Amino acid sequence: MTTLLVCQPEDTSHITPEGHPERPERLIAIKQALSANRFSQLRRETSQSADLSLAALVHGPGVLRQIQAARPAEGIARIDADTWVSPGSLDASATALGAGMRALAAVALGEADNAFCAIRPPGHHAEVDRPMGFCLLNTVAIMARLAQQMYGAERIAIVDFDVHHGNGTQNIFKNDKDIAYLSSHEMPLFPGTGALNETGVGNIFNAPLLAGTDGEAMREAYRDRLLPALSNFAPDFIFISAGFDAHHRDPLANLNWVDNDFAWVTGKIMDIAEQNCANRIVSLLEGGYDLKGLAGGVTSHVAMLQDGTLKPGG
Amino acid sequence: MSEKTETEISSLSFEAALSELEKIVAKLESGEAPLQESIAIYERGEALKAHCESQLKAAETRIEKITLSKAGEPTGTAPLDE
Repeated sequence: MTTLLVCQPEDTSHITPEGHPERPERLIAIKQALSANRFSQLRRETSQSADLSLAALVHGPGVLRQIQAARPAEGIARIDADTWVSPGSLDASATALGAGMRALAAVALGEADNAFCAIRPPGHHAEVDRPMGFCLLNTVAIMARLAQQMYGAERIAIVDFDVHHGNGTQNIFKNDKDIAYLSSHEMPLFPGTGALNETGVGNIFNAPLLAGTDGEAMREAYRDRLLPALSNFAPDFIFISAGFDAHHRDPLANLNWVDNDFAWVTGKIMDIAEQNCANRIVSLLEGGYDLKGLAGGVTSHVAMLQDGTLKPGG
Repeated sequence: MSEKTETEISSLSFEAALSELEKIVAKLESGEAPLQESIAIYERGEALKAHCESQLKAAETRIEKITLSKAGEPTGTAPLDE
């Protein structure tokens, strides 16, 4: 596969308080992991700023207003218990959108088979009318709308394997039968949504996983529920909300995935992409807060995107 | 006499009522009290027990679960699911 990696020009535009898990070092760890020899064939680009007014594709006007109002001239300001904004946070949001757009264009136009965007802040908790859970704008949701509007894709699937349910993405698309949201996540856990019976208009597929479970439970959930649903949906385009906090090392959750589990689930999604939409996948970073776990998970995910095979022993 | 007893018991805290109940139980188990007194303190014990139980029930309905933020910080409370 030709895999495109898109990074933001700055790692430190979006600042969070000392000790906050969603921190610039995450991107540094990812870049270091993806500088290994095995990734020498990755196409690499740096994103430019996109227009923040694109937020209106999925968010109400209050969200940008709220972020802009909270944004301090210096230091950092709190939006909620978890979510912070610094002077450069909107720049980071703009370049995160820009990264998604570049990846979307490359994959939609056939320049690359798939793409991974190493971006922060994450986005999948941001709802129509509120930023939350470390997220300001819902980048993957905006990309889904752009895939429809700019590239004529009709049926978009968003697969979210971040350990936290993407309440924002679900909230945005719960009434849209052309966009499927499929999520595996620990439950009970923040944000509290993601029950089996939350099905939207037949387009929402949730697979809650119990704390303490490992890749075996994950595989069962994907085999029994999420992969058949994804296949039945027959998407024109697949986005992945790629969070790596289901890793056993992660401090914010209690699942026990190992690096290979991320490779496995990626490979299964790629199989369906091959059958339905000419391999088209754009993956965007969401969570993952232990730097080693994050590096291991991202390495496995991107290696699978690039090579299409589990590494030896997997 | 019983009215005065009930009023007095209803003003006791849970801990005070429980402590007195425990003393009554100990006395009855020791067998030292004569029969008349045993009956009287047994009745008082019953009243104290009822008082403790109603206090516990009131406390149970006020127990809520603490909601946590994504980073694991307590952010508030929500009703405990039955």
